Amino acid sequence: MSETSLAIINARLIDPASGFDGPGGVLIEDGVIAQFGSEIDVDAADEVIDAQGRILAPALIDLRAAKEPALTPDGETLSTLTAGAAKGGYGTVVLAPNLRAPLDKADGFDGMTKGFGRYGVRVLSACAATQGLDGQHMSEIGLMVRGGAVYAGQGDHPIANALTMRRLLAYTSQFDVWLSVRPADAALSTGTVALESDWSARMGLPAEPAISERIAIERDTALAELTGGKLMIDRLSTQAGLKALRQARRSDLEIAATTAVAHLTLNEVDAGALDSAFRMDPPLRAESDRLSLVAALADGEIDAIVTDHRPTPFDDKGEPFALAIPGTMGLETALGALLALAHDGEVELIDLLRALTCGPADLLGLPQGRIAVGAPADLVLIDGDQPWVCKPEDFESARGNSAWAGRRFQGRVLQTLVGGVTVYNSKV
Amino acid sequence: MSRAAFSYDFPHRHLISVADLNPVDIQIIFERAAHWKALNRTTNRSSDHLAGLTVLNLFFEASTRTQGSFEIAAKRLGADVVNFAIEHSSAKKGESLSDTARTLAAMRPDIMVVRHSATGAPQFLAERTGLSVVNAGDGMHEHPTQALLDSFTLAQHWGEVGGRRILIVGDILHSRVARSNIGLLNILGAEIRLCAPPTLLPPDVDQWGCDVFNDLDQALEGCDAVMALRQQKERMSGGFVPSAREFFHLFGLTHERLEVCSPEVLVMHPGPMNRGTEIHTKLADDPEKSVILEQVESGVAVRMAVLELIGDVIRREDAS
Repeated sequence: MSETSLAIINARLIDPASGFDGPGGVLIEDGVIAQFGSEIDVDAADEVIDAQGRILAPALIDLRAAKEPALTPDGETLSTLTAGAAKGGYGTVVLAPNLRAPLDKADGFDGMTKGFGRYGVRVLSACAATQGLDGQHMSEIGLMVRGGAVYAGQGDHPIANALTMRRLLAYTSQFDVWLSVRPADAALSTGTVALESDWSARMGLPAEPAISERIAIERDTALAELTGGKLMIDRLSTQAGLKALRQARRSDLEIAATTAVAHLTLNEVDAGALDSAFRMDPPLRAESDRLSLVAALADGEIDAIVTDHRPTPFDDKGEPFALAIPGTMGLETALGALLALAHDGEVELIDLLRALTCGPADLLGLPQGRIAVGAPADLVLIDGDQPWVCKPEDFESARGNSAWAGRRFQGRVLQTLVGGVTVYNSKV
Repeated sequence: MSRAAFSYDFPHRHLISVADLNPVDIQIIFERAAHWKALNRTTNRSSDHLAGLTVLNLFFEASTRTQGSFEIAAKRLGADVVNFAIEHSSAKKGESLSDTARTLAAMRPDIMVVRHSATGAPQFLAERTGLSVVNAGDGMHEHPTQALLDSFTLAQHWGEVGGRRILIVGDILHSRVARSNIGLLNILGAEIRLCAPPTLLPPDVDQWGCDVFNDLDQALEGCDAVMALRQQKERMSGGFVPSAREFFHLFGLTHERLEVCSPEVLVMHPGPMNRGTEIHTKLADDPEKSVILEQVESGVAVRMAVLELIGDVIRREDAS
């Protein structure tokens, strides 16, 4: 917490939570927002930043980033992960379970989450819903929620068995936490590396039909209705899945949906040259799927955009497409990639930012992610027009697997504050 | 058309997909293959075309016939041939394919003949090493020399493959042979038919420039050649057809069923063959119809042609 006060004036203030997009500023005192709007008491501030009309928004929140196992040689550490996150405009990052770091052990879980306080960016952790993400044996969700887990997730692994899914939804409902599961029918999707399409058929790639997602969403939302569980659809990626989501939302269920940056900004044509950098899980989809997701984002149907940040060792991407470990890093590049949607007029900036700020905050009941008096001063200052080129060698992390390597972006983070403290400043 | 009619040199230093070839390239390969095939039938079959060049046979999937065929082809051209059989899977990996590639490239071979279970592995190796790569089969994607030898075999009988009606029957879904053949036969202007149960057809395969059938008797009508494919059990998970017996009754080739074909119909199979599943044993052995062993013979000649032409490109690049 900062003891001093800081004013940021002459900004284009965007607060998706209140729907405000206009000129204004913010006064920060003791790490929280004391004033905001066009009338800021600048005299009360120890320091004043003139934003010169640039965008000031709540710092971004990511519900899904993978950390590498501790002590991985040349691996990404929480220090480099949070440094990259700050550079990307993120004030809060939730570590999500994945096969390399499953976050499935209650032993030491609270110790781990207590250690998160030392990083400038707020770090939270989800826990695994099943042991080793095996999809069969429930992990000690209750103990891990007591230890600070903010939701229960399942990595890339769908729950094959409907009975297991029913029990997981029922069991997690007592803790009032989301059960986040990748929507895929296990039988249709296991072992596949691409969307079933003309391209993948010609390439002879093992592929999953898009309706695999729809089948899973239909089943899981029905089970959520049966159990009263809170279902988070983890990385919605197809038009077929979106239809099933809309159908389910006609009933009064607790359903949330996230979408990954990759599925909003890339499609299977990007993987056309079989570049392992575009091997994703879920796989990249058709352009029609991408357009549907962007439209759903604009309509507020996507609660949160996740980076699905996943550093992988060089060796794992040193394989041909079908054998490469899926995933891309994303914390440093998410905003750059997503701003293209706003620049291209595919979505309004405020709608985009909603799914990056108050959207995910509201899912987890976090006070940040909004510009309001008394809210934590987690803020990001963005130059919406500054051009830059994504160069993985410039990443904070030792890893460099990025689907956006070499891409030209328009719009970059200038400064990120968490609790009123600057955790990233492009000028420093 | 003879090659002299063109002032055109075969331009490719890789053979990764049939889609990289144009009709003239194919014509050049066939001409050289015809030369080598005739020579292979004599005892004077050795040449020194590739003398001094090293060919690496890099087989990540077990193979006897294709690897043997490439090895004989390279040796008859005078190349130094080294076989690497590398047990490889993503699960039990020691080093990445990228590292394997660079290690092998450091040994300074000239041509790598690659078979791998993953789509795109030959292209990946070509990109990572800069060496000439011949695709000897990548996953369910392509097997270009097989398609070339199939069409070459037909061209030897017919002169031209264009305009002929050719049926591919069996497991199209898992078959790299089918994918390469569909591509090549389209370039050559043949009429392509496919026949398989819906479970063994790729999605929207009717968009690939071929007519698709589920009924073998309809599919066979008027065909000039029929190619049977084996079920790729190693690539299958779960049941695609209930039994080999049912498959034979619905999709197996027999003398009786071929009566609706052209009277001179040729029967082909890329091997290995499951007698009594996709083809009746008597038909497979019928010298009047079956060209299955001729395909194997053509295989060596076509691979000699491909290696020779790629070797010429390497030498030209080296000289310039």
